[in-house]
Amino acid sequence: MTINVFQAGLLGLFACLASMPGMGGSAIGNYTLGRPLVAGLVVGIILGDVRTGILVGAAMQLLYIALVTPGGTVSADVRAVSYIGIPLAMLALKSYGLDAASADGNGLATSFGAMVGTLGTVLFYGTATMNLIWQHIGWEAIEKGEFKKLYLVDMGLPWISHIVCSFLPTFIICLAGAGMVDTIKAVLPMDGLAMKTIFTVGSLLPCVGIAILLKQIILKGVDFIPFFVGFALAAALNINLVVATIIAAMFAYMNYQIKCAQLIRVKVPSQDIEDEEEDI
Amino acid sequence: MKKLSKKTLNKSFRNWYYGHLTCFSQEHMQTFGYLCAMLPIIEELYDTKEEQKEALETYKAFFNTEPQLGTVIVGVTVGLEEAKANGEGVTGDTINGLRAGLMGPIAGIGDSLVVGVLIPLLLGIALGLSTDGSPVGAIFYIIAWNLIVTLGMRMLYFKGYEFGGKAVEFLTGDKAMALRESIMMLGSMVIGAVAASWVSVNTVFKMINAETGEAFLDLNAQINSVLPKGLTAAFVLFCWYMIAKKKMSPIKVMLLLVVIAFVGVLIGFFDPQLAY
Repeated sequence: MTINVFQAGLLGLFACLASMPGMGGSAIGNYTLGRPLVAGLVVGIILGDVRTGILVGAAMQLLYIALVTPGGTVSADVRAVSYIGIPLAMLALKSYGLDAASADGNGLATSFGAMVGTLGTVLFYGTATMNLIWQHIGWEAIEKGEFKKLYLVDMGLPWISHIVCSFLPTFIICLAGAGMVDTIKAVLPMDGLAMKTIFTVGSLLPCVGIAILLKQIILKGVDFIPFFVGFALAAALNINLVVATIIAAMFAYMNYQIKCAQLIRVKVPSQDIEDEEEDI
Repeated sequence: MKKLSKKTLNKSFRNWYYGHLTCFSQEHMQTFGYLCAMLPIIEELYDTKEEQKEALETYKAFFNTEPQLGTVIVGVTVGLEEAKANGEGVTGDTINGLRAGLMGPIAGIGDSLVVGVLIPLLLGIALGLSTDGSPVGAIFYIIAWNLIVTLGMRMLYFKGYEFGGKAVEFLTGDKAMALRESIMMLGSMVIGAVAASWVSVNTVFKMINAETGEAFLDLNAQINSVLPKGLTAAFVLFCWYMIAKKKMSPIKVMLLLVVIAFVGVLIGFFDPQLAY
Protein backbone atom coordinates (compact mmCIF):
# COMPACT_ATOMS: atom_id res chain seq x y z
CA MET A 1 0.00 0.00 0.00
CA THR A 2 1.34 3.43 -0.97
CA ILE A 3 0.05 6.98 -1.02
CA ASN A 4 0.36 8.87 -4.31
CA VAL A 5 0.65 12.64 -4.86
CA PHE A 6 -3.05 13.08 -5.57
CA GLN A 7 -4.09 11.17 -2.44
CA ALA A 8 -1.60 13.07 -0.28
CA GLY A 9 -2.97 16.34 -1.67
CA LEU A 10 -6.55 15.37 -0.77
CA LEU A 11 -5.44 14.41 2.75
CA GLY A 12 -3.75 17.82 3.03
CA LEU A 13 -6.93 19.60 1.95
CA PHE A 14 -9.00 17.76 4.55
CA ALA A 15 -6.40 18.64 7.19
CA CYS A 16 -6.99 22.34 6.36
CA LEU A 17 -10.75 21.91 6.76
CA ALA A 18 -10.66 19.79 9.90
CA SER A 19 -8.18 21.48 12.21
CA MET A 20 -9.14 23.39 15.33
CA PRO A 21 -9.18 26.94 13.99
CA GLY A 22 -10.01 25.26 10.67
CA MET A 23 -11.42 26.35 7.34
CA GLY A 24 -14.46 24.05 7.54
CA GLY A 25 -15.93 26.03 10.47
CA SER A 26 -16.03 24.27 13.82
CA ALA A 27 -19.34 22.40 13.37
CA ILE A 28 -18.60 20.84 9.99
CA GLY A 29 -14.81 21.07 10.17
CA ASN A 30 -13.37 20.33 13.58
CA TYR A 31 -16.35 18.57 15.14
CA THR A 32 -17.29 16.50 12.08
CA LEU A 33 -14.37 16.03 9.66
CA GLY A 34 -11.87 16.33 12.51
CA ARG A 35 -13.28 13.46 14.57
CA PRO A 36 -11.00 10.48 13.96
CA LEU A 37 -13.98 8.16 13.35
CA VAL A 38 -15.29 10.38 10.52
CA ALA A 39 -11.73 10.94 9.30
CA GLY A 40 -11.35 7.14 9.22
CA LEU A 41 -14.19 7.05 6.69
CA VAL A 42 -12.74 9.92 4.64
CA VAL A 43 -9.18 8.55 4.65
CA GLY A 44 -10.54 5.07 3.94
CA ILE A 45 -12.32 6.38 0.85
CA ILE A 46 -9.24 8.33 -0.31
CA LEU A 47 -6.91 5.36 0.15
CA GLY A 48 -9.41 2.81 -1.09
CA ASP A 49 -9.81 0.72 2.07
CA VAL A 50 -12.85 1.90 4.04
CA ARG A 51 -12.87 -1.02 6.49
CA THR A 52 -9.31 -0.49 7.70
CA GLY A 53 -9.82 3.28 7.74
CA ILE A 54 -12.88 3.00 9.97
CA LEU A 55 -11.23 0.50 12.33
CA VAL A 56 -8.11 2.65 12.72
CA GLY A 57 -10.25 5.79 13.09
CA ALA A 58 -12.38 4.11 15.77
CA ALA A 59 -9.30 3.07 17.75
CA MET A 60 -7.92 6.63 17.65
CA GLN A 61 -11.32 8.16 18.35
CA LEU A 62 -11.35 6.58 21.77
CA LEU A 63 -8.12 8.31 22.72
CA TYR A 64 -9.53 11.66 21.63
CA ILE A 65 -13.17 11.12 22.57
CA ALA A 66 -13.00 13.95 25.06
CA LEU A 67 -10.98 16.60 23.34
CA VAL A 68 -12.19 19.57 25.34
CA THR A 69 -10.27 22.73 24.57
CA PRO A 70 -11.07 25.19 27.35
CA GLY A 71 -9.83 28.70 26.55
CA GLY A 72 -7.96 27.59 23.45
CA THR A 73 -5.43 25.48 25.33
CA VAL A 74 -5.14 22.57 22.99
CA SER A 75 -3.62 19.35 24.29
CA ALA A 76 -3.64 17.64 20.92
CA ASP A 77 -4.84 19.00 17.60
CA VAL A 78 -6.97 16.59 15.59
CA ARG A 79 -5.79 17.54 12.09
CA ALA A 80 -2.55 15.63 12.64
CA VAL A 81 -4.21 12.68 14.37
CA SER A 82 -6.88 12.35 11.74
CA TYR A 83 -5.11 13.10 8.47
CA ILE A 84 -1.50 12.14 9.26
CA GLY A 85 -1.97 9.53 12.01
CA ILE A 86 -4.69 7.48 10.33
CA PRO A 87 -2.96 7.15 6.91
CA LEU A 88 0.36 6.27 8.56
CA ALA A 89 -1.24 3.75 10.92
CA MET A 90 -3.03 2.16 7.93
CA LEU A 91 0.29 1.86 6.10
CA ALA A 92 1.94 0.39 9.20
CA LEU A 93 -0.83 -2.18 9.67
CA LYS A 94 -0.54 -3.30 6.04
CA SER A 95 3.21 -3.38 6.29
CA TYR A 96 3.18 -5.50 9.46
CA GLY A 97 0.38 -7.65 8.09
CA LEU A 98 -1.82 -6.97 11.13
CA ASP A 99 -5.61 -6.99 10.99
CA ALA A 100 -7.04 -3.62 12.04
CA ALA A 101 -9.82 -5.38 13.93
CA SER A 102 -7.43 -7.30 16.20
CA ALA A 103 -6.36 -6.03 19.62
CA ASP A 104 -2.79 -5.60 18.34
CA GLY A 105 -4.00 -3.59 15.36
CA ASN A 106 -5.95 -1.35 17.73
CA GLY A 107 -2.93 -0.88 19.95
CA LEU A 108 -0.72 0.11 17.03
CA ALA A 109 -3.32 2.57 15.72
CA THR A 110 -3.76 4.22 19.13
CA SER A 111 0.00 4.59 19.62
CA PHE A 112 0.33 6.28 16.22
CA GLY A 113 -2.53 8.61 17.18
CA ALA A 114 -0.77 9.68 20.37
CA MET A 115 2.58 10.14 18.62
CA VAL A 116 1.24 12.47 15.89
CA GLY A 117 -1.04 14.23 18.39
CA THR A 118 2.03 15.99 19.74
CA LEU A 119 2.90 17.17 16.23
CA GLY A 120 -0.63 18.56 15.98
CA THR A 121 -0.02 20.84 18.95
CA VAL A 122 2.93 22.43 17.12
CA LEU A 123 0.82 22.92 13.98
CA PHE A 124 -1.98 24.46 16.03
CA TYR A 125 0.26 27.12 17.54
CA GLY A 126 1.80 27.77 14.12
CA THR A 127 -1.62 28.46 12.58
CA ALA A 128 -2.80 30.63 15.47
CA THR A 129 0.39 32.69 15.37
CA MET A 130 0.23 33.21 11.62
CA ASN A 131 -3.39 34.38 11.89
CA LEU A 132 -2.10 37.37 13.88
CA ILE A 133 -0.82 38.82 10.59
CA TRP A 134 -4.30 38.66 9.02
CA GLN A 135 -5.89 40.09 12.14
CA HIS A 136 -3.49 43.01 11.91
CA ILE A 137 -4.70 43.64 8.35
CA GLY A 138 -8.24 43.46 9.74
CA TRP A 139 -7.68 46.19 12.33
CA GLU A 140 -6.25 48.48 9.67
CA ALA A 141 -9.22 47.81 7.39
CA ILE A 142 -11.64 48.85 10.13
CA GLU A 143 -9.67 52.06 10.72
CA LYS A 144 -9.88 52.88 7.02
CA GLY A 145 -13.58 52.04 6.93
CA GLU A 146 -13.14 49.12 4.51
CA PHE A 147 -15.50 46.90 6.47
CA LYS A 148 -16.06 44.32 3.72
CA LYS A 149 -12.41 43.38 4.05
CA LEU A 150 -13.32 41.75 7.38
CA TYR A 151 -14.80 38.80 5.48
CA LEU A 152 -11.54 38.31 3.63
CA VAL A 153 -9.61 38.49 6.89
CA ASP A 154 -11.88 36.06 8.73
CA MET A 155 -12.64 33.54 5.99
CA GLY A 156 -10.10 34.02 3.19
CA LEU A 157 -6.60 34.85 4.36
CA PRO A 158 -6.37 32.13 7.07
CA TRP A 159 -6.21 29.68 4.14
CA ILE A 160 -2.59 30.80 3.77
CA SER A 161 -1.87 29.83 7.40
CA HIS A 162 -3.40 26.46 6.66
CA ILE A 163 -1.48 25.85 3.46
CA VAL A 164 1.70 26.32 5.49
CA CYS A 165 0.69 24.63 8.74
CA SER A 166 -1.84 21.99 7.65
CA PHE A 167 -1.54 21.21 3.95
CA LEU A 168 2.22 21.01 3.53
CA PRO A 169 3.05 18.94 6.68
CA THR A 170 0.27 16.48 5.86
CA PHE A 171 1.22 16.29 2.19
CA ILE A 172 4.92 15.71 2.85
CA ILE A 173 4.57 13.24 5.73
CA CYS A 174 1.89 11.18 3.96
CA LEU A 175 3.90 11.09 0.75
CA ALA A 176 6.99 9.93 2.65
CA GLY A 177 4.80 7.66 4.78
CA ALA A 178 5.47 4.30 3.17
CA GLY A 179 9.23 4.80 3.39
CA MET A 180 8.99 5.95 7.00
CA VAL A 181 6.95 2.95 8.02
CA ASP A 182 9.46 0.61 6.35
CA THR A 183 12.30 2.24 8.25
CA ILE A 184 10.44 1.89 11.55
CA LYS A 185 9.80 -1.74 10.71
CA ALA A 186 13.47 -2.44 10.03
CA VAL A 187 14.66 -0.70 13.18
CA LEU A 188 11.99 -2.03 15.53
CA PRO A 189 11.25 -5.75 15.33
CA MET A 190 7.78 -6.85 16.39
CA ASP A 191 8.76 -9.02 19.35
CA GLY A 192 11.35 -6.52 20.62
CA LEU A 193 10.96 -4.54 23.82
CA ALA A 194 10.22 -1.26 21.99
CA MET A 195 7.33 -2.67 19.94
CA LYS A 196 5.88 -4.50 22.94
CA THR A 197 5.96 -1.24 24.85
CA ILE A 198 4.31 0.68 22.00
CA PHE A 199 1.47 -1.83 21.79
CA THR A 200 1.01 -1.85 25.57
CA VAL A 201 0.95 1.95 25.64
CA GLY A 202 -1.65 1.78 22.88
CA SER A 203 -3.97 -0.24 25.06
CA LEU A 204 -3.41 2.03 28.09
CA LEU A 205 -3.77 5.42 26.34
CA PRO A 206 -7.57 5.42 25.87
CA CYS A 207 -7.80 5.48 29.68
CA VAL A 208 -6.45 9.04 29.49
CA GLY A 209 -9.21 10.05 27.05
CA ILE A 210 -11.87 8.64 29.37
CA ALA A 211 -10.18 10.30 32.38
CA ILE A 212 -10.21 13.75 30.70
CA LEU A 213 -13.92 13.33 30.14
CA LEU A 214 -14.51 12.17 33.71
CA LYS A 215 -12.75 15.28 34.97
CA GLN A 216 -15.41 17.32 33.14
CA ILE A 217 -18.44 15.50 34.47
CA ILE A 218 -17.38 14.13 37.87
CA LEU A 219 -17.67 16.92 40.39
CA LYS A 220 -17.88 14.83 43.57
CA GLY A 221 -17.19 11.22 44.60
CA VAL A 222 -20.76 9.95 44.27
CA ASP A 223 -20.78 11.00 40.61
CA PHE A 224 -18.73 7.86 40.04
CA ILE A 225 -21.81 5.73 40.73
CA PRO A 226 -23.51 6.38 37.37
CA PHE A 227 -20.15 5.88 35.66
CA PHE A 228 -19.77 2.44 37.23
CA VAL A 229 -23.39 1.54 36.54
CA GLY A 230 -22.67 2.18 32.88
CA PHE A 231 -19.37 0.33 33.13
CA ALA A 232 -21.05 -2.68 34.75
CA LEU A 233 -23.86 -2.73 32.18
CA ALA A 234 -21.35 -3.05 29.37
CA ALA A 235 -18.61 -5.09 31.07
CA ALA A 236 -20.68 -7.62 33.03
CA LEU A 237 -23.96 -7.72 31.13
CA ASN A 238 -22.51 -7.08 27.66
CA ILE A 239 -25.15 -4.48 26.92
CA ASN A 240 -24.40 -2.40 23.82
CA LEU A 241 -24.10 1.37 23.80
CA VAL A 242 -27.49 2.20 22.32
CA VAL A 243 -29.27 0.10 24.95
CA ALA A 244 -27.01 1.50 27.68
CA THR A 245 -27.95 5.03 26.52
CA ILE A 246 -31.66 4.18 26.75
CA ILE A 247 -31.25 2.85 30.29
CA ALA A 248 -29.16 5.91 31.19
CA ALA A 249 -31.87 8.18 29.75
CA MET A 250 -34.42 6.59 32.11
CA PHE A 251 -32.23 7.35 35.14
CA ALA A 252 -31.56 10.88 33.89
CA TYR A 253 -35.30 11.44 33.41
CA MET A 254 -36.05 10.28 36.97
CA ASN A 255 -33.27 12.50 38.30
CA TYR A 256 -34.73 15.48 36.44
CA GLN A 257 -38.21 14.84 37.83
CA ILE A 258 -36.81 14.62 41.39
CA LYS A 259 -34.80 17.82 40.98
CA CYS A 260 -37.83 19.66 39.61
CA ALA A 261 -39.99 18.37 42.49
CA GLN A 262 -37.35 19.68 44.90
CA LEU A 263 -37.47 23.10 43.26
CA ILE A 264 -41.23 23.28 43.91
CA ARG A 265 -40.86 22.05 47.50
CA VAL A 266 -38.29 24.70 48.29
CA LYS A 267 -40.73 27.39 47.23
CA VAL A 268 -43.79 26.14 49.16
CA PRO A 269 -42.57 26.56 52.81
CA SER A 270 -41.43 30.12 52.20
CA GLN A 271 -44.95 30.85 50.98
CA ASP A 272 -46.40 29.41 54.22
CA ILE A 273 -44.19 31.56 56.42
CA GLU A 274 -45.32 34.67 54.61
CA ASP A 275 -48.95 33.69 55.06
CA GLU A 276 -48.46 33.19 58.80
CA GLU A 277 -46.86 36.56 59.13
CA GLU A 278 -49.84 38.14 57.47
CA ASP A 279 -52.17 36.41 59.91
CA ILE A 280 -50.33 37.88 62.85
CA MET B 1 -38.32 52.37 14.27
CA LYS B 2 -35.64 50.19 12.68
CA LYS B 3 -36.36 46.51 12.35
CA LEU B 4 -33.79 44.03 11.06
CA SER B 5 -34.88 42.02 8.05
CA LYS B 6 -34.98 38.22 8.15
CA LYS B 7 -32.42 38.13 5.34
CA THR B 8 -29.87 40.14 7.30
CA LEU B 9 -30.40 38.02 10.42
CA ASN B 10 -29.85 34.88 8.38
CA LYS B 11 -26.66 36.31 6.91
CA SER B 12 -25.37 37.29 10.33
CA PHE B 13 -26.15 33.79 11.66
CA ARG B 14 -24.38 32.13 8.72
CA ASN B 15 -21.30 34.27 9.26
CA TRP B 16 -21.14 33.22 12.91
CA TYR B 17 -21.97 29.56 12.19
CA TYR B 18 -19.12 29.27 9.72
CA GLY B 19 -16.63 31.94 10.67
CA HIS B 20 -16.44 31.99 14.48
CA LEU B 21 -13.07 30.26 14.63
CA THR B 22 -11.63 30.49 11.12
CA CYS B 23 -9.32 33.41 11.99
CA PHE B 24 -8.30 32.23 15.46
CA SER B 25 -5.26 33.57 17.25
CA GLN B 26 -4.24 33.36 20.89
CA GLU B 27 -4.63 37.11 21.18
CA HIS B 28 -8.10 37.52 19.65
CA MET B 29 -9.78 34.15 19.65
CA GLN B 30 -13.30 34.62 18.25
CA THR B 31 -13.21 38.41 17.86
CA PHE B 32 -13.11 38.40 14.06
CA GLY B 33 -15.87 35.84 13.82
CA TYR B 34 -17.95 38.09 16.00
CA LEU B 35 -17.15 41.15 13.88
CA CYS B 36 -18.24 39.27 10.74
CA ALA B 37 -21.49 38.22 12.42
CA MET B 38 -22.26 41.82 13.44
CA LEU B 39 -21.24 43.50 10.18
CA PRO B 40 -24.45 42.81 8.18
CA ILE B 41 -26.50 43.93 11.20
CA ILE B 42 -24.56 47.16 11.63
CA GLU B 43 -24.64 47.94 7.91
CA GLU B 44 -28.40 47.66 7.91
CA LEU B 45 -28.99 49.61 11.13
CA TYR B 46 -26.67 52.55 10.50
CA ASP B 47 -26.45 54.58 7.32
CA THR B 48 -23.20 56.53 7.51
CA LYS B 49 -19.68 55.08 7.56
CA GLU B 50 -18.93 56.99 10.79
CA GLU B 51 -21.88 55.49 12.63
CA GLN B 52 -21.02 52.03 11.35
CA LYS B 53 -17.43 52.37 12.47
CA GLU B 54 -18.48 53.57 15.89
CA ALA B 55 -20.87 50.63 16.26
CA LEU B 56 -18.17 48.16 15.19
CA GLU B 57 -15.88 49.54 17.95
CA THR B 58 -18.02 47.67 20.50
CA TYR B 59 -17.20 44.32 18.95
CA LYS B 60 -13.46 44.88 18.67
CA ALA B 61 -13.10 43.70 22.27
CA PHE B 62 -11.72 40.21 22.95
CA PHE B 63 -14.29 37.45 22.70
CA ASN B 64 -14.09 33.72 23.35
CA THR B 65 -16.67 31.20 24.50
CA GLU B 66 -17.97 27.76 23.59
CA PRO B 67 -19.04 28.70 20.04
CA GLN B 68 -22.07 26.41 19.71
CA LEU B 69 -23.90 27.44 22.86
CA GLY B 70 -22.30 30.89 22.58
CA THR B 71 -24.55 31.56 19.56
CA VAL B 72 -27.15 32.73 22.08
CA ILE B 73 -24.83 35.61 23.07
CA VAL B 74 -24.58 36.71 19.44
CA GLY B 75 -28.38 36.60 19.15
CA VAL B 76 -28.82 38.65 22.33
CA THR B 77 -26.33 41.32 21.22
CA VAL B 78 -28.02 41.59 17.81
CA GLY B 79 -31.27 42.35 19.65
CA LEU B 80 -29.51 44.91 21.84
CA GLU B 81 -27.80 46.55 18.87
CA GLU B 82 -31.20 46.99 17.27
CA ALA B 83 -32.50 48.56 20.48
CA LYS B 84 -29.44 50.83 20.56
CA ALA B 85 -30.04 51.99 16.98
CA ASN B 86 -33.61 52.82 17.96
CA GLY B 87 -32.37 54.94 20.85
CA GLU B 88 -33.80 52.74 23.60
CA GLY B 89 -31.13 53.67 26.12
CA VAL B 90 -28.71 50.84 25.30
CA THR B 91 -25.06 51.86 24.89
CA GLY B 92 -22.04 50.09 23.45
CA ASP B 93 -20.69 49.70 26.98
CA THR B 94 -23.88 47.93 28.11
CA ILE B 95 -23.52 45.45 25.24
CA ASN B 96 -19.85 44.85 25.90
CA GLY B 97 -20.40 44.41 29.64
CA LEU B 98 -23.08 41.81 28.91
CA ARG B 99 -20.86 40.03 26.38
CA ALA B 100 -17.89 39.91 28.73
CA GLY B 101 -20.07 38.73 31.60
CA LEU B 102 -21.72 35.97 29.61
CA MET B 103 -18.83 34.38 27.75
CA GLY B 104 -17.39 32.73 30.88
CA PRO B 105 -20.54 31.01 32.22
CA ILE B 106 -21.71 30.02 28.73
CA ALA B 107 -18.29 28.53 27.97
CA GLY B 108 -18.51 26.49 31.18
CA ILE B 109 -21.97 25.12 30.40
CA GLY B 110 -21.14 24.59 26.71
CA ASP B 111 -17.88 22.75 27.37
CA SER B 112 -19.53 20.33 29.77
CA LEU B 113 -22.74 19.77 27.78
CA VAL B 114 -21.71 19.97 24.12
CA VAL B 115 -18.10 18.80 24.21
CA GLY B 116 -18.31 16.80 27.44
CA VAL B 117 -21.59 14.93 26.94
CA LEU B 118 -23.27 15.39 23.53
CA ILE B 119 -20.25 14.68 21.31
CA PRO B 120 -18.93 11.69 23.33
CA LEU B 121 -22.47 10.29 23.51
CA LEU B 122 -22.95 10.48 19.72
CA LEU B 123 -19.43 9.17 19.15
CA GLY B 124 -19.99 6.35 21.64
CA ILE B 125 -23.09 5.22 19.76
CA ALA B 126 -21.26 5.68 16.43
CA LEU B 127 -18.33 3.56 17.64
CA GLY B 128 -20.77 0.79 18.52
CA LEU B 129 -22.21 0.91 15.00
CA SER B 130 -18.75 0.77 13.42
CA THR B 131 -17.33 -2.12 15.45
CA ASP B 132 -16.73 -4.34 12.45
CA GLY B 133 -15.32 -1.54 10.30
CA SER B 134 -18.63 -0.62 8.76
CA PRO B 135 -19.10 3.05 7.75
CA VAL B 136 -22.61 3.19 9.29
CA GLY B 137 -21.35 4.60 12.60
CA ALA B 138 -19.38 7.42 10.98
CA ILE B 139 -22.33 8.31 8.74
CA PHE B 140 -24.67 8.24 11.74
CA TYR B 141 -22.39 10.68 13.58
CA ILE B 142 -22.11 13.04 10.59
CA ILE B 143 -25.89 13.26 10.20
CA ALA B 144 -26.88 13.30 13.89
CA TRP B 145 -24.28 15.84 15.02
CA ASN B 146 -24.80 18.28 12.15
CA LEU B 147 -28.56 18.11 12.43
CA ILE B 148 -28.54 18.75 16.19
CA VAL B 149 -25.88 21.44 16.12
CA THR B 150 -27.20 23.37 13.11
CA LEU B 151 -30.81 23.42 14.29
CA GLY B 152 -29.67 24.06 17.86
CA MET B 153 -27.47 27.02 16.92
CA ARG B 154 -30.22 28.50 14.74
CA MET B 155 -32.67 28.24 17.58
CA LEU B 156 -30.24 29.81 20.06
CA TYR B 157 -29.51 32.70 17.71
CA PHE B 158 -33.11 33.57 16.96
CA LYS B 159 -34.37 32.97 20.53
CA GLY B 160 -31.51 35.12 21.78
CA TYR B 161 -32.51 37.89 19.37
CA GLU B 162 -36.17 37.57 20.28
CA PHE B 163 -35.99 37.28 24.06
CA GLY B 164 -32.76 39.14 24.84
CA GLY B 165 -31.63 38.70 28.45
CA LYS B 166 -34.49 36.28 29.19
CA ALA B 167 -32.94 33.70 26.86
CA VAL B 168 -29.80 33.70 28.98
CA GLU B 169 -31.82 33.37 32.17
CA PHE B 170 -33.50 30.36 30.63
CA LEU B 171 -30.12 28.73 30.01
CA THR B 172 -28.76 29.40 33.48
CA GLY B 173 -32.00 29.16 35.50
CA ASP B 174 -32.97 26.52 38.10
CA LYS B 175 -34.78 24.15 35.74
CA ALA B 176 -31.96 24.36 33.22
CA MET B 177 -29.52 23.46 36.01
CA ALA B 178 -31.62 20.41 36.94
CA LEU B 179 -31.68 19.41 33.29
CA ARG B 180 -27.95 19.95 32.95
CA GLU B 181 -27.25 17.81 36.00
CA SER B 182 -29.46 15.03 34.63
CA ILE B 183 -27.77 15.15 31.24
CA MET B 184 -24.39 14.92 32.92
CA MET B 185 -25.61 11.86 34.80
CA LEU B 186 -26.66 10.30 31.50
CA GLY B 187 -23.27 11.29 30.14
CA SER B 188 -21.30 9.57 32.88
CA MET B 189 -23.29 6.35 32.49
CA VAL B 190 -22.67 6.35 28.75
CA ILE B 191 -18.97 7.09 29.29
CA GLY B 192 -18.84 4.13 31.68
CA ALA B 193 -20.34 1.93 28.98
CA VAL B 194 -17.94 3.38 26.39
CA ALA B 195 -14.96 2.62 28.66
CA ALA B 196 -16.09 -0.95 29.26
CA SER B 197 -16.88 -1.62 25.59
CA TRP B 198 -13.86 0.03 24.01
CA VAL B 199 -10.94 0.03 26.42
CA SER B 200 -9.23 -3.18 27.33
CA VAL B 201 -6.26 -3.48 29.68
CA ASN B 202 -5.08 -6.99 30.44
CA THR B 203 -2.16 -8.55 32.27
CA VAL B 204 -0.41 -11.81 31.47
CA PHE B 205 0.89 -12.15 35.04
CA LYS B 206 0.64 -15.77 36.21
CA MET B 207 2.15 -17.70 39.11
CA ILE B 208 3.18 -21.13 37.97
CA ASN B 209 3.63 -24.19 40.15
CA ALA B 210 7.24 -25.23 39.56
CA GLU B 211 6.51 -28.97 39.81
CA THR B 212 3.42 -29.42 37.69
CA GLY B 213 3.92 -26.39 35.43
CA GLU B 214 0.30 -25.37 35.96
CA ALA B 215 -0.70 -21.84 36.77
CA PHE B 216 -2.20 -21.58 40.24
CA LEU B 217 -2.75 -17.83 39.99
CA ASP B 218 -3.94 -16.20 36.80
CA LEU B 219 -4.16 -12.55 37.83
CA ASN B 220 -6.25 -11.39 34.87
CA ALA B 221 -8.88 -14.10 35.44
CA GLN B 222 -8.89 -13.37 39.18
CA ILE B 223 -9.52 -9.67 38.64
CA ASN B 224 -12.25 -10.33 36.09
CA SER B 225 -14.04 -12.68 38.47
CA VAL B 226 -14.30 -9.83 40.98
CA LEU B 227 -15.20 -7.09 38.49
CA PRO B 228 -15.22 -7.83 34.79
CA LYS B 229 -12.63 -5.57 33.14
CA GLY B 230 -11.45 -4.55 36.61
CA LEU B 231 -7.94 -3.70 35.45
CA THR B 232 -9.35 -1.32 32.82
CA ALA B 233 -11.44 0.41 35.50
CA ALA B 234 -8.37 0.66 37.75
CA PHE B 235 -6.32 2.35 35.02
CA VAL B 236 -9.13 4.79 34.18
CA LEU B 237 -9.40 5.71 37.88
CA PHE B 238 -5.63 6.10 38.10
CA CYS B 239 -5.57 8.49 35.11
CA TRP B 240 -8.54 10.42 36.49
CA TYR B 241 -6.78 10.73 39.86
CA MET B 242 -3.61 12.02 38.23
CA ILE B 243 -5.43 14.56 36.02
CA ALA B 244 -8.20 15.74 38.35
CA LYS B 245 -6.59 15.42 41.78
CA LYS B 246 -2.86 15.74 41.09
CA LYS B 247 -3.45 18.41 38.39
CA MET B 248 -1.16 16.62 35.98
CA SER B 249 -1.51 17.57 32.31
CA PRO B 250 -2.86 14.85 29.98
CA ILE B 251 0.43 14.84 28.05
CA LYS B 252 2.37 14.08 31.25
CA VAL B 253 -0.05 11.30 32.17
CA MET B 254 0.49 9.82 28.70
CA LEU B 255 4.25 9.89 29.26
CA LEU B 256 3.77 8.29 32.68
CA LEU B 257 1.82 5.50 30.97
CA VAL B 258 4.72 4.98 28.57
CA VAL B 259 6.99 4.45 31.59
CA ILE B 260 4.46 2.11 33.23
CA ALA B 261 4.11 0.14 29.98
CA PHE B 262 7.89 -0.12 29.59
CA VAL B 263 8.42 -1.36 33.15
CA GLY B 264 5.40 -3.62 32.86
CA VAL B 265 6.74 -5.25 29.70
CA LEU B 266 10.20 -5.60 31.30
CA ILE B 267 8.91 -7.49 34.37
CA GLY B 268 6.45 -9.54 32.33
CA PHE B 269 3.25 -7.91 33.63
CA PHE B 270 2.24 -6.78 30.16
CA ASP B 271 2.86 -8.74 26.99
CA PRO B 272 0.87 -8.07 23.83
CA GLN B 273 2.18 -11.44 22.53
CA LEU B 274 3.17 -10.31 19.08
CA ALA B 275 4.96 -12.11 16.33
CA TYR B 276 5.41 -11.69 12.62
